[in-house]
Amino acid sequence: MAESGRLEKLPAELRYIQYEHGLESQYLPAIRALISKDLSEPYSIYVYRYFLYQWGHLCFMALDPTDSSLVGVIICKLETHASHSPMTLRGYIAMLAVSSAYRGHGVATALVKRAIDAMALRDADEIVLETEESNIPAMRLYERLGFLRSKKLHRYYLNGSSAYRLVLQLKPPEIERVVEPALGEAEVSEVVVAAS
Amino acid sequence: MIPDRNPAPEEFEGLSLSDQPPPPAEQYGLYGGEPVPPPPPISSDGVVALDVMGRFRKAAKTLEPGELIKDGYFSLMDSVASIEIMDPKMDSGCLGPGETLEEGYDVTRPLRAEQVIGIIDQLLCHEMAWHLGYPLSQTLFTNVYIEGILMPMPNTIEQADFVRDQPGHDPMLAVLRAYCLGLLKACYHVNERIKGEHYYEEEDFVTNTYHRSLLDRIDEAAIRQVITNARTSLRSGICTDTLLADALDSRLRLREEFLNAIQLSEDRNNSADSIKAPWIELEQILETINRSHALGTSVPEAFSTKIQRKLASTMPPRPIVQLRFEDTYGHFKHMFADGREVTDVLAYTDSESLLNFVLHFQAKRPQPLVYIRTLLQSYLFKDMIILGRLSIRHIMDDDLSTLVLPASPLLDPTNDAFESAPHSPQFQLANRMELFRQRAAQSYLDVFRAICQNRCRIRRTLCHSIQDWENVQLDAEEVDQVLALETNEAAMSWPRPTSPPSHSLSLSSWAYLYKLKLMQWIVQLGFELDIYAPDELAGMYWYLSLLTRTRSQHVQRIQAFAEKNVREVLRTRKLSEEEEMQFDRAANYWRGSLLDAAVTCQLADALSSIYIVLGRLGLVTPPPRPYSTDEMRYNVRMKPFGVIGLPELPTYETFKEAALQPKLSVAQLLDAATSALEGAKRGFKAMERFDEDESFARGVTYERFKADLAGSHKSAIAAGLTIMMLRKALGEKVSRNTETGEGGGKELGLKVEIKAPSQRYHECWVVPGLVKVPSKDSGASTGN
Ligand SMILES: CC(C)(COP(=O)(O)OP(=O)(O)OC[C@H]1O[C@@H](n2cnc3c(N)ncnc32)[C@H](O)[C@@H]1OP(=O)(O)O)[C@@H](O)C(=O)NCCC(=O)NCCS
Repeated sequence: MAESGRLEKLPAELRYIQYEHGLESQYLPAIRALISKDLSEPYSIYVYRYFLYQWGHLCFMALDPTDSSLVGVIICKLETHASHSPMTLRGYIAMLAVSSAYRGHGVATALVKRAIDAMALRDADEIVLETEESNIPAMRLYERLGFLRSKKLHRYYLNGSSAYRLVLQLKPPEIERVVEPALGEAEVSEVVVAAS
Repeated sequence: MIPDRNPAPEEFEGLSLSDQPPPPAEQYGLYGGEPVPPPPPISSDGVVALDVMGRFRKAAKTLEPGELIKDGYFSLMDSVASIEIMDPKMDSGCLGPGETLEEGYDVTRPLRAEQVIGIIDQLLCHEMAWHLGYPLSQTLFTNVYIEGILMPMPNTIEQADFVRDQPGHDPMLAVLRAYCLGLLKACYHVNERIKGEHYYEEEDFVTNTYHRSLLDRIDEAAIRQVITNARTSLRSGICTDTLLADALDSRLRLREEFLNAIQLSEDRNNSADSIKAPWIELEQILETINRSHALGTSVPEAFSTKIQRKLASTMPPRPIVQLRFEDTYGHFKHMFADGREVTDVLAYTDSESLLNFVLHFQAKRPQPLVYIRTLLQSYLFKDMIILGRLSIRHIMDDDLSTLVLPASPLLDPTNDAFESAPHSPQFQLANRMELFRQRAAQSYLDVFRAICQNRCRIRRTLCHSIQDWENVQLDAEEVDQVLALETNEAAMSWPRPTSPPSHSLSLSSWAYLYKLKLMQWIVQLGFELDIYAPDELAGMYWYLSLLTRTRSQHVQRIQAFAEKNVREVLRTRKLSEEEEMQFDRAANYWRGSLLDAAVTCQLADALSSIYIVLGRLGLVTPPPRPYSTDEMRYNVRMKPFGVIGLPELPTYETFKEAALQPKLSVAQLLDAATSALEGAKRGFKAMERFDEDESFARGVTYERFKADLAGSHKSAIAAGLTIMMLRKALGEKVSRNTETGEGGGKELGLKVEIKAPSQRYHECWVVPGLVKVPSKDSGASTGN
């Protein structure tokens, strides 16, 4: 990560605003540019519209107050996750990026917090995301907020790198218990584990 | 970030489900004269063609920019797969100003021997990149000679040439052509083998050939003849420099031997030695190739991304994958050695040794390539015949007799002979056992299949398998109860004389034992894959120790009942030789299993205590986590186990108590860890004396078993050193009897180092290291 061009101090109090459709022409090009910078393959405009058109209220932007330019962005969705029983309302953090000069000042943290709050307000059961296994800054950021790695995904990205799935549980899950097998009736004894 | 490609479907992690076929290549792109499936007829009876462009434009005008029109089925993955037409980064058909579609590379131009070597070595790199999981479009299909051979699609061996309709051939080009033909045929076989087994498309491997045929219709014998001819011409002096001629010849031999290796491995009934021979040969040829690599001159113009535009795909243009020759060599070296070694699986002795073979083979670093892993699957399962000669029943009965039912009348093959007497008790037994085998066979075989997958998938798959085994256990229990009645089995009180009497419940015990093993592997793979945060380690090692303690207890129960049942047999008759053998084998199994459970349990306990201490001293500190509670995270972490009835997941309160041990002082915890380590080390020493029978590990697996054990043993020793450093630092700071240690770590001037999996003595044992630091910046760090 290019540390060199980093700002020592943030210029002034950044503005955090929620995206809405009317802002598309003003901000979508900047959002795309910011996200694409750290990607080997660009996403098409449909990927952005897929999220922004349906879940604009879960997208937040950090703006530099002096010229309202885009400094950071987070893009999410929130849907029921059908293949699970019981059904869960799952939030998903799709994209997150902060302009390199502004990194290390809590901008991403502030964006993620806003997204979590917005999803929690809409009754999300959990929030998930994936991040490249080598992306230590991203993983630290999420883990600091309470996310856990739930699984590793082999060669998840086109460049061949693996990812971790991170999960933040917001509500306790309902667990269906199954019948107790007979072997469970045996009383628990002191187990001799001393090696021969 | 969302994936930039279609990931393998994650929701279907069970193995028994049929594979999703790869998505059909879309009818997009330029085919360069390739005969493609014809478009649907535009006019036919009853169909009236209509130009809708006008209406479409009109309707589109009513939309705001950015408005999304989609049906309910348009998913995230559809949007990821979409491209923007005329954007040069996405639309592979988009030409820049003045750009042409044609290559401008003349495949008929004469080549020097050095150049042919250079091209072949680059092709080797691309072949390996494909094996590693990159698509043909970014690897072999970027080569103009390959493209020339495949397009237009050849139907005869003569047409399979990049120089067509020109009599006579430059002899150097003939060598290159021969190499390419052998390469493509091998790719065809590899692709088919992989498609025929369980693997994950795009994640493990990309089977897409973009409507190109990998010479599947060209006779292999004809291709071999072309290679033979090229080799002959090399010897007849087309290349006067013998070094160059030899270099080219060894590359052609590689193609020949690779085809031999594939052909022999397709038929598992060949002797293991004959299957091995070409792999050994390949290992030697590879060395020759590596030594002569420097003779080559690279020809980068012979590779181009432009060819991607002609492939049947909507994929955006992607860069050529550049794998270095040294890395390619390393990967091939592993591949050929693995290809040789994997044939050892065919030497079957018993089910447990078979399982250990697969486990240890798959735990090799680097993990064997997907082709080798699918080869292993085909050796194991092809046509539902295990290893080409054994029935599923054979290995299941071996397994039942080794784990739970040695010398049992239930597994007596003579029971089958009572077919003619359907009411005889023997036939009833045979029948019930057969029904049980049918019920459990899939789950049992799936264990083997699961561990043939990539490491991440093994863990994910096992998280589902344990639910499956829970159901097997419940069904088995019904069978057990009927069998107990029908065999008049005497009940026994266990573990105490005062315990309520119970029957052996052998079949459900067998299922439960698998479930426990699988649960243990899931937790251990979590360490290996670096799933757990540092402050979770105390709790996860405690849970590992709980699982192994439960397994130990269960094996003791199995052993007690199996011995009781054998004693009952002995009251009426002597054991046959076969039964004696079975009983000895089972006794070995129980002993090994108990010892393995004991050492795992003790080392896990020790590490758990150490991490608790590090937490108390503030050397491992949890992040603030404002959005989460300890209990919520416990739920997430234990989700795979929460649905399991037995063993029941400990409550959060129990877990918390165990992961914090509030009643024990730092000194007590360190004492407990020390004595657990002593126990573990004694256990490792005992296991190091195991022979092949006792370890159920044979040949090369026995070597791996020893190495694995040595890794664990070293981890225990390293954990002892960590304890020593802690004691020393604490002793210097505070008097041992009074301190609670709380948060005192900062003053100790120590810092915890947690090594990345590949740096550990054993990937499953995360032994924390301590380094001295100036007291300012102590705390946990996850060194990578
Ligand atoms: C990952 C990424 C979004 C982080 O952005 P960021 O704004 O630098 O993140 P934060 O500032 O919130 O956190 C970074 C560090 O600053 C520290 N920080 C947090 N708040 C701070 C504050 N108010 N003042 C100073 N530092 C602060 C954090 O503690 C953190 O420290 P760490 O390095 O020890 O973890 C950014 O690096 C990025 O855009 N990367 C490329 C795209 C990417 O990887 N996206 C994530 C994919 S899922």
